[in-house]
Amino acid sequence: MLKLRNIEKSFRHGLSQTFVLRRVNVDIPDGQFVSIMGPSGAGKSTLLHILGMHDSAWTGEYWLGEEPVHQLSAKDRMRLQKQHVGFVFQSYHLLDNLTVYENIDLPLSYRDVKKTERQGMVADILDRFNIVGKKDLYPNQLSGGQQQLVAIARAVVARPTIILADEPTGNLHSDQGREIMELFKRLNEGGTTIVQVTHSETNAAFGDRVIKLKDGWVVDEN
Amino acid sequence: MGIFRELRYALRSYLRAPGFAAVAVLTLALGIGGATAIFSVVDGILLRPLPYPEASRLVKLGRTTATGSMDGAFSAADFLDVRREGTSLVHVAGYREDISDLTGVGEPVRVPGVQTTAGFFDALGVTPLAGRVYTAADEARGGMAVISEGLWDRQFGRRSDVVGSQIRVNGIPTTIVGVVSASVRHPIKADLWNLAPGAVPTSPIPSGGLADREVQYFAALARLATGATMGDANAQLQAIGERLGQQFPETNRGESFHVRPLAATLVTDVRAGLLLLLGAVACVLLIACANVAGLMLARGLARRRELAVRAAIGASRWQIARQLMVEGLVLAAAGGAAGLILASWGVDLLVALAPQNLPRLGDIQLDWRVAGVASLATTAVGLLAGLAPVVQSSRPQVNEDLKDGGRTGTSIRTRFRSGLVVAEVALALILMIGAGLMATSLARLRAVDPGFHTTSMAAVDLPVPQSRYDGPAQGRFYSEVLGRLQDSPVTARSALVFPLPLRGSGASAAFDIEGRPSTGRPAQPIAELNIVSPDFFQTMGLRLVRGRGLASTDVEGRPPVVIINERLAREFGSEDPVGRRINLGDWITVVGVVSDARRESLAAAPQPALYLPYQQFVLPYMSLVVRTDASEAAVASAVKSVVRELDPDLPVETVRTIDQIVEASTDQPRFRTTILLAFSFLAVLLAAVGVYGLMSFSVSQRTSEMGVRLALGASPGQVGRLVLRQGLALAGLGVALGLAAAAGGGRLVASLLFDTSATDPAIYAGLAALLLTVAALACYVPARRAMRVDPMRALRAD
Amino acid sequence: MNASAQPLIRLDGIKKVFYTDEVETHALAGIHLEIAQGEYIAIAGPSGCGKSTLLAILGLLDTPTDGTYMLNGHQVANLSLSERARVRNREIGFIFQSFNLIGDLTVFENVELPLIYRGMKAAERRERANAALERVGMAHRSKHLPSQLSGGQQQRVAVARAVAGQPSILLADEPTGNLDSKNGEAVMDLLRELHRAGATICMVTHDPRYAAHADRSVHLFDGRVVEENVGAGV
Repeated sequence: MLKLRNIEKSFRHGLSQTFVLRRVNVDIPDGQFVSIMGPSGAGKSTLLHILGMHDSAWTGEYWLGEEPVHQLSAKDRMRLQKQHVGFVFQSYHLLDNLTVYENIDLPLSYRDVKKTERQGMVADILDRFNIVGKKDLYPNQLSGGQQQLVAIARAVVARPTIILADEPTGNLHSDQGREIMELFKRLNEGGTTIVQVTHSETNAAFGDRVIKLKDGWVVDEN
Repeated sequence: MGIFRELRYALRSYLRAPGFAAVAVLTLALGIGGATAIFSVVDGILLRPLPYPEASRLVKLGRTTATGSMDGAFSAADFLDVRREGTSLVHVAGYREDISDLTGVGEPVRVPGVQTTAGFFDALGVTPLAGRVYTAADEARGGMAVISEGLWDRQFGRRSDVVGSQIRVNGIPTTIVGVVSASVRHPIKADLWNLAPGAVPTSPIPSGGLADREVQYFAALARLATGATMGDANAQLQAIGERLGQQFPETNRGESFHVRPLAATLVTDVRAGLLLLLGAVACVLLIACANVAGLMLARGLARRRELAVRAAIGASRWQIARQLMVEGLVLAAAGGAAGLILASWGVDLLVALAPQNLPRLGDIQLDWRVAGVASLATTAVGLLAGLAPVVQSSRPQVNEDLKDGGRTGTSIRTRFRSGLVVAEVALALILMIGAGLMATSLARLRAVDPGFHTTSMAAVDLPVPQSRYDGPAQGRFYSEVLGRLQDSPVTARSALVFPLPLRGSGASAAFDIEGRPSTGRPAQPIAELNIVSPDFFQTMGLRLVRGRGLASTDVEGRPPVVIINERLAREFGSEDPVGRRINLGDWITVVGVVSDARRESLAAAPQPALYLPYQQFVLPYMSLVVRTDASEAAVASAVKSVVRELDPDLPVETVRTIDQIVEASTDQPRFRTTILLAFSFLAVLLAAVGVYGLMSFSVSQRTSEMGVRLALGASPGQVGRLVLRQGLALAGLGVALGLAAAAGGGRLVASLLFDTSATDPAIYAGLAALLLTVAALACYVPARRAMRVDPMRALRAD
Repeated sequence: MNASAQPLIRLDGIKKVFYTDEVETHALAGIHLEIAQGEYIAIAGPSGCGKSTLLAILGLLDTPTDGTYMLNGHQVANLSLSERARVRNREIGFIFQSFNLIGDLTVFENVELPLIYRGMKAAERRERANAALERVGMAHRSKHLPSQLSGGQQQRVAVARAVAGQPSILLADEPTGNLDSKNGEAVMDLLRELHRAGATICMVTHDPRYAAHADRSVHLFDGRVVEENVGAGV
């Protein structure tokens, strides 16, 4: 269960204060597939990064299960993030000078997983995502859809309970986008909570629920 | 008009981001300034023609011996033969350096002087500033002198009636016939050139006059005759030498004569050292160029978004290129100006640091050609690198640059920059190793025990003019001085010696041991010749090993005696040398053996040496050594008062400590080491700036990658180590290349090293570790920045 | 030249293919599009549909892989680099999502820059730049640096820079993307005003509400035009 209470984030700009998020109250039960929507500048990505614990400059309460994230030290947040969160970005953010295999291995290397165990986990993911044949290629040798597939493989390899995705199909053709959404759907059916930011009603339709933001306010929730 | 606006914009953008501009200008200034200063010194000493008309036809005559060649080695008879028969030469002139005591104008002064034969100025082709120079027509008249512009200023207030005025030089009435400019400084920066009273310069020791071939005591120069080449002259002199060798085997067998360009003879000793410095400056200039190129590449990359915006609103490639060029030229102008200031300071500093015995020191001045070449090189490199973004924008990717701020397509130039940094590190290490070897060598040289006391020792030269003091008078004067000095507590422990150690006197003598067949020249054994007072050994700290020391009874008229050192004692094999006789022209009895001491240089092992009592073999060139705890000033005043009592017309020179003399004997290696250390410091600094620049640029280019890594769970420490590892990998590659190059090039400096291997592994390893540490420090700040990347902001920069 | 017979812009069969080692991506798969003098057109579509690529080709920042592009009756699809710069300077005004003002230059100098590149005389430049700043209501800030302005103000300066050279067409790439809705509305109002005064505008957006401001909106999907409709032109 993700629980946000009265989350606010603002920037000071001279004398005026610009709010990016205002009094955001959201509950996301485990295993839900949620889409955050709204116009540019509404605060969608900011909310996602707060959920992902990259952003700590906010006020309010954030409960991840029993853990009060708003009270944790940076170190504990990092531990919690490593344990629970996987990220997927619009522009993939694969590391150009690492192969597909090395990209997927990277999160495990940061989690002190033993080498032999890591090999098994990466091999398993390559199988599940059907990209074994691509494991020695570099990202720039792949199409956008394939790159995003690898990025998702990298996000799930460490077995997170939550996947946060920032416009995961934003740079893709519609059929590639649909494949990604179907993949999310399968992961979700396997029990992973998924929160995505999207502009696309089609993508949102894959999920259980839409949270609409406008100028930092939650304006519509269903 | 457009240029002025761009100039204004460029200045403003540098003022708003002064860090980049400061580093770039500093790099340019150090490169240009350092290169120009050092090159000016090398140019002044090695390359610039001598300040005489047709200087390339000036030659110095030398004597070819079995062991090599000697520059200043003419006897009276040999000189006259060469002058008469050497038709491929004109104006053959002999000369020798001579201290000249000047009286008759104010206080007696002692000035550096040269005694020459009449053709000396004809050979050089000097035009006097005032009066005339003496010429071949004045031969054998004597009593004539030409003075320097400096002496004219100091001693005569630049009076125009100096020409024709009468002075006394070493007591001899002399007429000043002319004044020559300060650019005339052969063979030394003399104040007075004195015409010899005969066909050859006067001999410092008794000799057989014009027929003498035994005593070789002066040098000679000449001009190539019209139409003659260096080869003609050499062939001719060789033939003359061979004929003399057959005719006079006693003195001339196996020896001959040769000529060399005068300019080349002046710099033989320092050539290797100066070329080494030139190599160092080339390294620094290359590093500076690499740094400027790296900086400009980085700036270009960082500005790709701005350039893309400019292109989007309609700037043509030429307009963008022109703007970048104006910006580059502004930097180049600032760097060049700062570089010239540094260069002129640097030349002054180098001249001040340089050992005074460096030849042609006065010819050194800031060389504008070098300054121009160095400025052009760095500017061109900077401009080319700065234009790289325009060259690359021929590919249609403006659209991408607008979107991502220029983060793509950087790998080639980043790789090129990495290559530059590797090269910088390698060059810096080469310089460091060079400096490290020199410093180690210098330290070991300074640690050498010369075999005599160096502390609490003062020394002063006390030559007397032969014109006023004949042989017996010299002995009486010195013994009187010694006696009176012993009355003062300051100078109670004094002794006389010729020559002072470590001053490169070279006085030596060939000898035969009694009972062994005389081999004759050139295989005859040679020993260093010293003339001392009996107290010398105790005063200087030489131990008596066998036999007796010299006694006050070893005087003129008593059987001649000599003390030898242990090195020479070995020549006697298992026999006891005490009581044996050796032949130095006369038979002399060995009465004692003393411990070895180094005389010619700290670097050279002690040679066989002879010590003759001054009261049997006096020379008018004795020096005084005093063992005392008093200051040099106290010693000077004690010596002066004693000398004034005996001879008010005799000037006393500056008193120096033996420590200072030892120190001065290592002037050249210390000069080299200081300069190399300065350069390697500069090189390390520039290389560190290069590493820092590359890594901080790389971090800013890879912000999003760092963000991804942090988002994937990397700890800040892991990200920081990534940066450190990347930087150290580059530095490590540079260090490896530098080590290899230094090991390969080490042989070139081996000849300049004392007791130090050119591939000393400890020095190599230590300096490599030091450089890697510096590189790690240079990576630290960018690594910290990478650790603090805010993943949210980094990832949002889509 | 007859404006009614000849559209300002005509695209025929414009294709753009990106190649990487293993894959080729068809960003634009044959676009046909006409834009008339004085028209206000929106190009809409989800991200990834190719609308930014299309805008780059329209703005002569990029060349199509295939197809013809007539601007004012001239073929401009395959001009040389310097020709493209010249045409871009005279015919096209850009407005970017992230403003892209040059940080070292003042507001006035930013607006003046395209006129300098055109080689215009100083007096005329000053007059035109000031007029453009008046039009967007930023004349009082002409001495400021971009960093001293809010996002909305920066975008208005960017609009002034785009219109100062009186280009044939204004190309706006998500001009409200980095702004909150209030400032976004203000910029949209400004564009509509310019349009009423006669400017031709082509705007890329993925926001249907903003697309509705235009006379006509063209929907792109997977690199093709899938729908054209005449908007309210509020």
